[in-house]
Amino acid sequence: MFKRYELHNHTVESDANITCRELLDIMLADGVDCFAITDHNTTSGQPIIKKILAEEKPPIQCAYGMEYTTYFGHIVCPVLETYVPWDSINRKKPELLFEACKKANAITGVAHPFSYGDPFARGCRFEMEITDFTNVDYIEIVNNPEPLHEVNEPGILWWESLVLKGEKVAACAGMDLHGRDSMAMKFATYAEGKEGGDAVAELRAALAAGRTWVSKGMLVTGDIDGEVAVFHLCDVKKPGFIPSDTYTLTLRDKDSTTAYDITSGSVRVPLTEIDDIAVPKLYGGEVKLENLICVAPVIRL
Amino acid sequence: MKEVYRVEGIVNRGFVGQITYMVNLEEPFSKLDIHFVFDASKRKFSPDEATPELIADTVAVCKKNYDLDIDENRARGIILGDMKTEIHTLATLNDEFLGCIHRQMTDRHMFFDGVNGTATEGCIPRERFEGVLKVTVLAFNVIKDGTRYELTVSGE
Repeated sequence: MFKRYELHNHTVESDANITCRELLDIMLADGVDCFAITDHNTTSGQPIIKKILAEEKPPIQCAYGMEYTTYFGHIVCPVLETYVPWDSINRKKPELLFEACKKANAITGVAHPFSYGDPFARGCRFEMEITDFTNVDYIEIVNNPEPLHEVNEPGILWWESLVLKGEKVAACAGMDLHGRDSMAMKFATYAEGKEGGDAVAELRAALAAGRTWVSKGMLVTGDIDGEVAVFHLCDVKKPGFIPSDTYTLTLRDKDSTTAYDITSGSVRVPLTEIDDIAVPKLYGGEVKLENLICVAPVIRL
Repeated sequence: MKEVYRVEGIVNRGFVGQITYMVNLEEPFSKLDIHFVFDASKRKFSPDEATPELIADTVAVCKKNYDLDIDENRARGIILGDMKTEIHTLATLNDEFLGCIHRQMTDRHMFFDGVNGTATEGCIPRERFEGVLKVTVLAFNVIKDGTRYELTVSGE
């Protein structure tokens, strides 16, 4: 089964206007499997949600994290149960903080890398210079409230350029929830898991394997069948998802992008047409960013 | 509550970084209040401060940082609407995280009530306060010279 994750959410413990209880209720109402609490520079909401979940045992899991909100960019950690200080944040050596977080068993992601920072909001753009992605689990390629072309498109392109160069870094999306925003037709993160399984452990495994989907509600999956790759559509029943009349699969490699009609629900692509590394994406109709529905895990042949 | 220490400071326009104050809480407290305030009049620009020079600077910064072409009206809107002095506070006790207030406020308390087990949003409740307290002033953005702030720590 596929599990839906909402990995970037705030509460009144930092600058949002929803309480921990309200965040939990919003996630439950929208059928989320696992959500993270990632308040700015504080872990104070974690024990509040832990207490509610322990007492009421609702059918949802929580990842206890924080968003490092630094002067040079935001590092969203959907899991960070032990606070790791960031006093010595170094714009030219952010690897030190990523490494310290990973030693504390965190999950680490670069949040909204191309958001506007100064003079709009200092620190929102990721201005740190990462040269070693070893301890970066993912890039938040879509931050839902941000403008599609100005902010999210360069984020998607940056991630694609990294993985096409061979970097092992996964892609995720975030609501960056600060209030009661609708999650319909917004991108969420999906990963494979088992009914009743530990969603955080499954997320860790998915990130390590680069097996995360960023999607509005329809996934594209792939199998190898002899000399052919078979891609399928998979409706994950995300509330508010509006199906498209037609679907197009694209495979982007280092040199080009090839499009395939997948409206029927599946398409067979000879392996000879796929480069050693390719990024599958799904569009509803014409191939343009406004129609993007899903970014699927990178194919490595 | 008993005042443990009070400090005042001034930060200049463009300062980005942090200032940490450390004090030994030699007697145990069951309540702690960390009060931080900075000059509210320095937080935003007023319409008459949106000078042609500042507007030109803003247009140039948007072009340089984001390749964003904005006209003077948009720049004026950014100056009056978005640009702000943003200073937050974070505290640790014996190197354990106590909390952080990351909200757009010029006057804030980090209040811990160890008797009732409560704390201000952003802070983690605890019963006892003794040892090395570090309070860090996090200056994300300072838009005007001479921005004064005051930090007071009190215990009970």
